[in-house]
Amino acid sequence: MSGETLLPLAVALPLLGAALLLALGHVIPKRASDMVALLLALALAGIGAWLAREAAAGPVTHWFGGWVPQGGRPLGIAFTADLAGAGMVCFIGLVFAACFAFAWGYFEPAGAMFHVLMLVFMGAMAGFCLTADLFNLFVWFEVMSVAAFALTAYHLESSAIEGALNFTITNSLASFMMLGGIGLLYARFGLLDMPALGRAAAEAPGEMVVAAACCLLLAALLTKAAMVPFQFWLTDAHAVAPSPVSVVFSGVMVSLGIFGIARLGGTVFAGVPAAQGVMHGLLLGLGLASALLGGVGCLQQRHLKRMLAFSTISHTGILLGALALVSAQGKAGMLAYLLGHGAVKAALFMIAGILLTRCGGIDEIQLRGRGRAVWPAGIVFGLAGLVLGGLPFGTLDEATRLLDSAAAEQGLPWLAAPLLLGAALTGGAVLRAGGRIFLGWGRVSGEEERAPTEEEQEPRDRPLWLMLAPAAVLLAAALGLGGPIAHFALTAAGGGEMPAETPNPWLPWAAIGLSLLIAGWDLGRAHLPRWLRAPVEAASGPAFALLDRLHTGRVGDYVAFMLAGLAVLTLGFMLG
Amino acid sequence: MSPLPWLVAAWLFGIGLYGIVTSRNYLHLIGCLSVVQSATYVLLLSAGFRWGAGPPIFQDQPPGSLVVDPVVQALVLTDIVVGAAVTALLLVLVLQVHKRRGTVDPDALRPLDR
Repeated sequence: MSGETLLPLAVALPLLGAALLLALGHVIPKRASDMVALLLALALAGIGAWLAREAAAGPVTHWFGGWVPQGGRPLGIAFTADLAGAGMVCFIGLVFAACFAFAWGYFEPAGAMFHVLMLVFMGAMAGFCLTADLFNLFVWFEVMSVAAFALTAYHLESSAIEGALNFTITNSLASFMMLGGIGLLYARFGLLDMPALGRAAAEAPGEMVVAAACCLLLAALLTKAAMVPFQFWLTDAHAVAPSPVSVVFSGVMVSLGIFGIARLGGTVFAGVPAAQGVMHGLLLGLGLASALLGGVGCLQQRHLKRMLAFSTISHTGILLGALALVSAQGKAGMLAYLLGHGAVKAALFMIAGILLTRCGGIDEIQLRGRGRAVWPAGIVFGLAGLVLGGLPFGTLDEATRLLDSAAAEQGLPWLAAPLLLGAALTGGAVLRAGGRIFLGWGRVSGEEERAPTEEEQEPRDRPLWLMLAPAAVLLAAALGLGGPIAHFALTAAGGGEMPAETPNPWLPWAAIGLSLLIAGWDLGRAHLPRWLRAPVEAASGPAFALLDRLHTGRVGDYVAFMLAGLAVLTLGFMLG
Repeated sequence: MSPLPWLVAAWLFGIGLYGIVTSRNYLHLIGCLSVVQSATYVLLLSAGFRWGAGPPIFQDQPPGSLVVDPVVQALVLTDIVVGAAVTALLLVLVLQVHKRRGTVDPDALRPLDR
C-alpha cells in the first residue's frame, strides 16, 4: 500500500475503533476491548513505521477528498508525513500499546469507556503530528485535550476532580489563545495551509499581526508543554490522574507541545526573523528555567507521581533548550531526547502504578521498605532513575551529546551544563525514592516531609509480571536503541553525521555523580554531622519554600502566571 | 475594516481573564471562560465579514455575488461545538466537587491536601 493512502488511516483507525467500542462495549466480552485497543495501538505503530519508510525519500502528502492545490493556492486540508512526524506516530502507537498492556483489566469497572477515550486520545495525537493545516492542528489539539481532561478525572475523587478542573481551565485557555492566533493569521493571509502560510508570512515578516499570532500560538503550545511560567497545571493533573493515564501524559502528551513548536517554527514562522529570534533567545531562557525549576521541585516531593511530574517539567525544559538552538543538530538532539525520555518516563509511571496496586500507596516516606516485596520493579526503577540522572549510555546520552555539540556550534558551550544540572536533580530525587522504597534506606527525611501528599490506592487486579513487562521493555528500548534512534533523529532533522567528539565529554559523568551524591545525601541524612547538614539546609530551604508557595493549587493564580508568560512573550517580540 | 470588532474581541478576552483570576465561584469561573471563548468568535467572524455581502448560500442569489467568508463560519461552528463539550465537562466536574466538598470556591479547594 502506498504511504499516501495509508496516511488518513493513522487517524481514522483509532477513531473508528473508538466508535465501535462505544457502540458495542456492553455486548462484547470484557477483555475484548483490551484486546481491540492493544491491536489498534500496535497497528498505529505499524502505520507510523511504514510511513517513516516511505517518508525517507521525501514527505508523503495526502489531500483529503482530492482537493489538491490549484494554481499554487491550497483549497483543501492535507496530511503530511515527514520523517519526524511519522516517527512520532510510530512512537505514540508503541507507548499506547505498552500502556494498554500495563492497564490490562484495570479499567474493567468503566467498561469500554476508558478504551474509547484512550483511542480518541491516540488518534488525536497522531493527527496532531501529521496535519499540515493550521486549523486542523487546533482541532487535534482540542480533541487531545478534551480526552485528557476526562481521563484525568476518572477516579472522581476530590483531588482528582480538582486537579482535572485546573487542567481543563488552563488548557482550554491555551486552546483559545491558539485559535486567536490562527484567526489573526487567517484574517491577514486568508490561508490555513501551513507551508503556504509560511511562504505568505515570509513576504510580510515585520508585520505586527504575524508577531501577535506567533505570540498566541507559542503561549498555547508552551502551556501544553508545561514550560515556565505556564507549567502549574501539570503537577496537579499528573499527580491525580490514574497511573496508566499519567504514563501517556508524561510519555507523549507534554512533549507534543515542543513538537508542535518545532512544527510551526519550521513551516509557518520559518521566514519570520522576529519569530526565529524569540525562539532562539527567549525560549532558550524558558527551557533553562523549566529544567532547573522542575529539578528543584522534583527533589522536594514525597508523592511519587507528583515527583515524576516535576521531573517531566525539567526534561521537557531540556527539549525546549535543544529546540531553541535553531540548528539541525539541536533539533535532532531534541527528537532523540523526546523519544528516549518518553520511554523512560512512561516506565517510571508504570512502576508508580505497581506501587499503587501492590504496596497500597504512592507516598515515598510511608512506603519506606515496603517495595521489597516487588523487588524486580525496584531494579527497573533504579535503572530508570540513573538514566534520568544522566547515565552515559543509551538514547538520552546520545541525545545529550548531540545537544552539547549543537550548543558549542552556536557559541554556547556552557549551555548543556545547567540543562543537565536539572536532569541530575531529578535523577537524584528518583534514586532517593528508589532507595527508600525498595531498600528501606533513609529513615530520617528532609524537606520532602513537608510536601503535599495523599492516601491513594489502585485495585490489586493483575499479575505483577504483566505490569512490569511493558515498563522493562520500554526501558530496555531506551537503553539499547540509543544508536539507531540518534541516527534516525539526525536523518529526520537533516543534521548530518553523529559528532565523533563532544565539547564536554565529562558532563554526563558529572551529572550522574551529582545524582548519586544527592540521593546518598538525602538517604544518609541521619549519619551526616550537623555542621555539614546545616549550611546546605539553610541554602535549599528558602528555594523549596518559595517553589511550594508558588504552586498554590489555585487556578486563578495559574491563569495569572499564564498571562505573565504571554506578556513576557510579547515583550520578547517587541524588544526583538 | 473598522477596528471596532478587534477592540471588542480584545476587551472580551481581557475581561474574561480578569474574571477567571479573581473568581470565588467555579460556576462564575466557567462563565468567564465562555466569555474568553466568545472573544475568539468575534475575532473569527469579523475576519470574514464584508460590508453589504450576503450569506454564503447561493440558493436565492446568483453565483458570483458578494458573500461573507464561509470558512471562518465553519471555524466558529467547530469552536462552538468544542466549547459546549468543554463547558459540559467542567460543569459535571463542579457538580462532583460540590457533592464531595460542599463548596465551589476555588480558594477552599486544593488538589492534594496541604
